[in-house]
Amino acid sequence: MSGPPSAPEVAAVPDVGGDRAGRMEAGAERLRPIFAPRSVAVLGVTATPNTVPYDIFYNILSSGYQGTLFPVAPGKKSICAVQAYRYVLDIEDPVDLAVVVFPADVVDRALEQCGKKGIRGVIVISAGFREMGAKGQAREERLEAVCREYGMAMIGPNCLGVINTDSAVRLNASFARKMPAAGRIAFLSQSGALCTAVLDYAREKQIGFSKFVSFGNKAGVTEIDLFEYLRNDPQTDVILLYLEELREGRRLIEAAQQVTRGEHPKPILAIKSGRTPQGADAAASHTGSLAGEDAICDAVFREAGILRVASIEELFNAAILYTNQPLPAGNRLAIVTNAGGPGVMATDAAIRVGLRVPRLAEASMARLRGVLPAAANVKNPVDVIGDARADRYTAALEAVLDDPNVDQVLVILTPQSMTDIEAIAHGVCGIYRQAGKPIACSFMGAADVGRGIRLLQEAGIPHYILPEWACEAMARVQSIRQWRAQPVGDADRLPVDAPAVRAILQRAPEGYLDEDQALAVLAAYGLPVPPHLLCSSPAEAVAFAEAHGYPATLRVVSPQIVHKSEVKGVALDLGDAGMVRAAFERMRRYLSAAAPRAEIRGLLVRRMIPAGHELILGTKCDPAFGPTVMFGLGGIYVELFQDVTFGLAPLGRATAARMIRQVRAGRLLEGLRGAPRADIENVEQCLVRLGQLAADFPRIVELDINPLIAGPAEAGNAVADVRIRLAPRNDSFENPETEKTREQQ
Amino acid sequence: MNSSEVYRRVVGVVCRVLNVDGSLVEPESHFVFDLGAESTQSIQLVAGFEAEFGIEIDAEAALGVQTVGAAVDFIAQQLKDKG
Repeated sequence: MSGPPSAPEVAAVPDVGGDRAGRMEAGAERLRPIFAPRSVAVLGVTATPNTVPYDIFYNILSSGYQGTLFPVAPGKKSICAVQAYRYVLDIEDPVDLAVVVFPADVVDRALEQCGKKGIRGVIVISAGFREMGAKGQAREERLEAVCREYGMAMIGPNCLGVINTDSAVRLNASFARKMPAAGRIAFLSQSGALCTAVLDYAREKQIGFSKFVSFGNKAGVTEIDLFEYLRNDPQTDVILLYLEELREGRRLIEAAQQVTRGEHPKPILAIKSGRTPQGADAAASHTGSLAGEDAICDAVFREAGILRVASIEELFNAAILYTNQPLPAGNRLAIVTNAGGPGVMATDAAIRVGLRVPRLAEASMARLRGVLPAAANVKNPVDVIGDARADRYTAALEAVLDDPNVDQVLVILTPQSMTDIEAIAHGVCGIYRQAGKPIACSFMGAADVGRGIRLLQEAGIPHYILPEWACEAMARVQSIRQWRAQPVGDADRLPVDAPAVRAILQRAPEGYLDEDQALAVLAAYGLPVPPHLLCSSPAEAVAFAEAHGYPATLRVVSPQIVHKSEVKGVALDLGDAGMVRAAFERMRRYLSAAAPRAEIRGLLVRRMIPAGHELILGTKCDPAFGPTVMFGLGGIYVELFQDVTFGLAPLGRATAARMIRQVRAGRLLEGLRGAPRADIENVEQCLVRLGQLAADFPRIVELDINPLIAGPAEAGNAVADVRIRLAPRNDSFENPETEKTREQQ
Repeated sequence: MNSSEVYRRVVGVVCRVLNVDGSLVEPESHFVFDLGAESTQSIQLVAGFEAEFGIEIDAEAALGVQTVGAAVDFIAQQLKDKG
């Protein structure tokens, strides 16, 4: 039990000031005592096997830990023949890491002693905290306070523990049954129970891990801190995350981007569960009701470069491919199969997930004709026919790998009586080492193909029971490549009139802005607001319409009337002066009867906007993630199709362009079936400007432009309707950045 | 029975059930944190006190008794109530 691992000196509490990289380095340094401790004390060990406190100690002892281990077990002389201590303070040697398994009500006392001992890292396995309600929450806050006081990094509470397979450390500080094999994948999970299931699954699939972390209630160390540590972890190539609760979206983006981009980028794939609609019901606008936690989470992950998947299977399917294969140069897939049906299924799946199944080069097809029987299909997918043996598979695989139109290959096998499965597997293994292009296999079946699958897995060749899974994994890896190639989407700052908005908001009370004021806000930020006038007489309205042209529209403006059409407060398609005058009088009469208490500020007249694609653009200031921007299909289709996407404000042109492409509305704008293309660049600008507005003025709780009419490019876009809801007046809503902007202008 | 007698007999039960030396036991000693009681031993402690003092201890109420001193006070009160 002696001989410390080659871990660096444990750092003192880091100074978290300085630049971003410096902060991240300091954050990573804080976790060294947890991942590479020279000595570990387990606090609360019992002498009863098959209990969590005993098993944790036993697992560390039996997993080949390279440091020194101390059991803290009051009343016991020894545990597993290792001398026990009553208190951690009784240990004379220095201790880097404490693993606490005491019952919840004494964990704070244990941490106090750890702090006094100078311990820098703690893992609190014990449950009975925030997950148990108010009393547990108070206990957890106490742990946080103790850790803050002594500068300790804490994993947990309520977690399975931490595993580090690095041969210099070999630490299984968890109550998982077995130490997993070493590998290049770091797995981070908020759920402890899921961890044990994943470890079991991984053992069966021969998947190894570099680090395995259950971070439970994340009262101290969060997934963000773990990203910072794993960014420079030489044993880790890819990070898999299971998350139930997303708290610090902006910080997560910053940390994840450092991991997923840069000199040695590592992909992050994540499952985010706990999709709750809370907040959506209470929201008054379309943007508010659609901006649930899940939609915002999607936006955060996209911005961070985190690939979101729906299942554990998908996580590992992609990770296995990424860690074992070179990145493909593109999305072109060749399929080699001995069965027509699965070949077609794989082609369908590939196209569905965004891969291409291209025609092979003439030279490749000629080469295939030379090695395959006449009945074989030499186009892609290449069908080597049911009676194919290893020589035919090998020749076909070599031909498609050499094809310049192919970036990656999927080998499909169905077990037929003459199929020499193991020989084919050996053949693929032999080619794979020199291929230079990714190869995945799908040996379909179970018992007959089992030995062949085992051979492939031992050689590190990704294998999938279903070809569809292989295609999905390849598409995910493709996304990783695309993310790295994508320009960094720093926010653009366009010239705007922030002081004008400030002046409007300073006067406005809580609630909805009047339409003319809302339009003025948009106009100040450069959105395409058509000319309009708030009129108090028919003569004024007619004069405006005569000047700007017919047909005209009239809309009532009143702080008490939000839903104008419900009180007949909208008149459309007014073709001449007489119609404008008549509509004005009619609306005035009707409103005085239908809404006698409403303060009518006037009727807003403007030229009617020609028909076009109806889009919705909106913003919402999310309490947890700050301002967000929404884009999608607007008008009456908003609720029906919910074809919307979100971005975090402020956003750049590149992000705005991606948002437009992500939804079906984006395809409409391109011009379907000969329809003219809309001014998409202007829509992008509108999104950037809205993001800027939302970031500058957090007092704007929700903003809906529904619809923005996108006509043909030469006609341009126009705001047809807008609603802006304000929070109460409060100095804290002033964004200091706005001040900066004003100075710049 | 006076409280020092209750204390002496409580310490006896604690040492017997938890297999700890009497020198480690003090009124402030926490059964788990200081004396290493495991969850099954907590039940054995309650049974030991019941047998030692001829009383019945409510399991729910026993949950709040976490130190030797608190056990002494709890048992003394039970004996007093019993008359």
